[in-house]
Amino acid sequence: MKKMDIKIHVNGDWYELAVNSGDRLVDVLRDQLDLTGTKEGCGEGECGACTVNLDGKAVLSCLILAVQVDGCTILTIEGLQRGSELHPLQKAFTSESAIQCGYCTPGMIMSANALIYNEPEPDEDTIRKNLSNNLCRCTGYDRPVKAVLKAAKDMKGDTNV
Amino acid sequence: MFESHIAVGKSLERIDGVEKVTGSAKYATDIRLENMLHAKLIRSPHAHAKVKRIDTSSAEKLPGVRAVATILEVPKVIEYWFSLRTEKKKKQMFLRDNVVRFMGDPVLAIAADDQQTVDKALSLVKVEYEPLPAIYDPFMAMEETDVKIHSRGNIAFKVNKDYGDIQEGLKKADIIIENTYRTSKQKHAALEPFGTCVALYQSNGKLTVYSSTQLPHWSRHYLAGALDLPLNRVRVIKPHTGGSFGGRCGLIHGLEVMCSWLSRQTGRPVRMSFTREEDFIGTETRHPMTIRMKTGATRDGILTATDVDIVSDVGGYGTHYIGVIADCLSTGVGLYKTPNYSFSARAVFTNKSPCGALRGYGNPQMNFAQESQMDIIAEKLRMDPLELRLKNYRELGEIDPVLNEKILSNGLRECLEKGAELSGWEKKRHQWKRYQRSVKATRNRGIGLSIMLHGTGAGKALPDPASATVMINADGSVNLITAAADEGQGNRTVLAQIASETLGIEFEKISVSETDTETTPIDCGTHGSRQAYSGGLAVQAAATEARNQIFAYAVKELGAAEDQLRIKDGVIFEINNPDNKILISDLMRKTQIEDMNVCEQVIGSAAGVAPAMPGYYGAVFAEVEVDTETGEVKVLKLTNAFDVGRAINPDLVKGQIIGGGVMGIGFALTEGLLIEDGRILNSNFSDYRLLRACDVPEIVPIIVESDEPTGPFGAKGIGEGCMVNVASAISNAIYHATGVRLTDLCMTPEAILKGLEER
Ligand code: FES
Ligand code: FES
Repeated sequence: MKKMDIKIHVNGDWYELAVNSGDRLVDVLRDQLDLTGTKEGCGEGECGACTVNLDGKAVLSCLILAVQVDGCTILTIEGLQRGSELHPLQKAFTSESAIQCGYCTPGMIMSANALIYNEPEPDEDTIRKNLSNNLCRCTGYDRPVKAVLKAAKDMKGDTNV
Repeated sequence: MFESHIAVGKSLERIDGVEKVTGSAKYATDIRLENMLHAKLIRSPHAHAKVKRIDTSSAEKLPGVRAVATILEVPKVIEYWFSLRTEKKKKQMFLRDNVVRFMGDPVLAIAADDQQTVDKALSLVKVEYEPLPAIYDPFMAMEETDVKIHSRGNIAFKVNKDYGDIQEGLKKADIIIENTYRTSKQKHAALEPFGTCVALYQSNGKLTVYSSTQLPHWSRHYLAGALDLPLNRVRVIKPHTGGSFGGRCGLIHGLEVMCSWLSRQTGRPVRMSFTREEDFIGTETRHPMTIRMKTGATRDGILTATDVDIVSDVGGYGTHYIGVIADCLSTGVGLYKTPNYSFSARAVFTNKSPCGALRGYGNPQMNFAQESQMDIIAEKLRMDPLELRLKNYRELGEIDPVLNEKILSNGLRECLEKGAELSGWEKKRHQWKRYQRSVKATRNRGIGLSIMLHGTGAGKALPDPASATVMINADGSVNLITAAADEGQGNRTVLAQIASETLGIEFEKISVSETDTETTPIDCGTHGSRQAYSGGLAVQAAATEARNQIFAYAVKELGAAEDQLRIKDGVIFEINNPDNKILISDLMRKTQIEDMNVCEQVIGSAAGVAPAMPGYYGAVFAEVEVDTETGEVKVLKLTNAFDVGRAINPDLVKGQIIGGGVMGIGFALTEGLLIEDGRILNSNFSDYRLLRACDVPEIVPIIVESDEPTGPFGAKGIGEGCMVNVASAISNAIYHATGVRLTDLCMTPEAILKGLEER
């Protein structure tokens, strides 16, 4: 199979990669860059576990081909932390007990991050609607919603994407 | 009521939170080993067939293909750990034959250098089947004797149990209610799909398997049995797990054994990972049941008799079909003090995907029937459903006839009272009914309740070992060694709290081991809501032993009598002379390193089985709004009160109650696999509908703390029970709202519209 060269900006660094035309963004992140924090829950765009930020928007990395993101800026859960300090969303998810198995968590946090970037003070309804793209089988959503609400208040839109 | 503690009863942050929010937590899907092969299955397109011929010759010629394994040589595990008790039973656990028993049943797997080569190789395989007649209906399967799904017949298990005299009981009844209930084939739908494993068989004859199993130690037994290896040559490592809910209560059908087999052939690590569709079609589900129930009561609302007959649909294979039925029995009989109870059940093979354990085991099915019956009786007797429960539930001090154990803690009354108060039960019960009569409303509101009992652990019904080791280091920090598998509920955090409390050493100083059979003593695993209780007891005992050893050193060091010593915040001191003290870290350094005549580490170990199987209790108050034009049900609010004994970590307990509540709503309203001619129609998240953030109502979690005397610090379970009686409460609320009694799960708008028409 013929490989194609792409250049992508991931979590602050540029990478030059050779990818197959059929490789999905989630595969490239997980298998080539070893960024396994991004999860795959369905591969069909239905669960949100694979959510990453692409040029400031929340996208499903299982539905995007790697060749489509040539030249783009991508943020994954691994790039959210600021130095040794947890990002306000990460702090809120731990302090609000918004995690159980944690498999949905990176996707939820990245969805919320893009939301807060684009809409600095979302209310509970907006957050709930936004997180409806992310399935969670463990928590019943109540606490993730509260965690995002808390983080949004702390951040006032100050986030990186 | 409870004395103050340093760690127990506190909502401490979970120990794995930071790993999980930073993306560094490794799940089975994230494990990559050097030189790893990729494998995939070919699954049967037939619901029932004989595999006549498998031709892999062209596939094997493909460069990069390394190994093939088929069901002709690789055994399936078809029973659970109860069968490990005898050599004879153990042999029957493993099935090797050429029959496929459901659409999606694995036939063979190929391992190759990369995924593309595997896919190509699979397309070159030719499998010749001889289709056999398939049976999808368990009632037909019981009658049909020509078609045998397993050689021993289609009835996997049957049981009749009588308590008291059912005929006498029915004679004494003033009213008798009889109905048949049917429940759905619910799927676990854990966010990390079932079915990722990496196996490595090394040339030294040792097999290492990364598996998300809930039962690492039993899985080690299963793998050792299937591959005929000694136990000490099998190592099971359980990484973080993206939810299990019972579905990983053993090995995954066609996964770990297959992977290990392929690795043994190649000497290279082999990874297999099921897609979401494979998770839906090929891995275990809840047992759908048909439950005929006849309940008798006196005019005053005293239960006199319950007569139950259950047919449980096992699918093509089932490892838990006996336990699930036993659970129907023990929770059904245990909850109410009905003097005459007749229970019969059959578990029946059909040509559908296998069934196993799913949160609640057989209880959600049984509870739906029994709690619907109770609601009907209350209605007929014009009695408050709450009062009917209070009159009949089996109270503290009574003997549970199934377990033959005395009930030593029971907070059910408090659950009912608190739930009623916080939900506004009485007022809503009356007002909403009036409202419906006065206005010709198209949106009717209703409130319903139900209660439940669930056992903690397996007691003496199954081999249920737990063990732990506590090691104190020279700096006063602690290693807690346990095989307790954390599926996300947070039991490793809870066990660390128990260790901290028992030792008197700060929670932050406890480090919990990885879940790895190589380095941990045997534990039954995470099932039956048992870890806080059974696992907790083992940790408490191990920590107590360690503490006693610390005291023995401290007696010498401080010159005080042992009964005068206490530990708090890492300091050992004499109770009446607190200045006579030493830091645990100083004492441990002394005994381990400084004093070269000693050089001993404090190590406490404990192993054994929990003394009982205490019941935990719950009451759910569900409020719904039914749109009588569309049949749509909206759950407005759940008020869920659970008696968990002592809540070691209240925040984690509430997390279970809320999450279990949502799973219960799914079981009630949206979830169930649809099967047509053996084919599962809704094998993705668009068609199998899980609730999303915008669908969930407010859930008010209430913790009721009874003090279970056999439990660690009074603790019992919670994990399963919190979803058990949600569906029955919702059904009762729908009845209150509309007068429509639904007997089948899940309760669809169509069924409600039909009920409204027939009303
Ligand atoms: S894995 Fe991408 S949406 Fe589920
Ligand atoms: S925490 Fe398990 S899926 Fe969300």
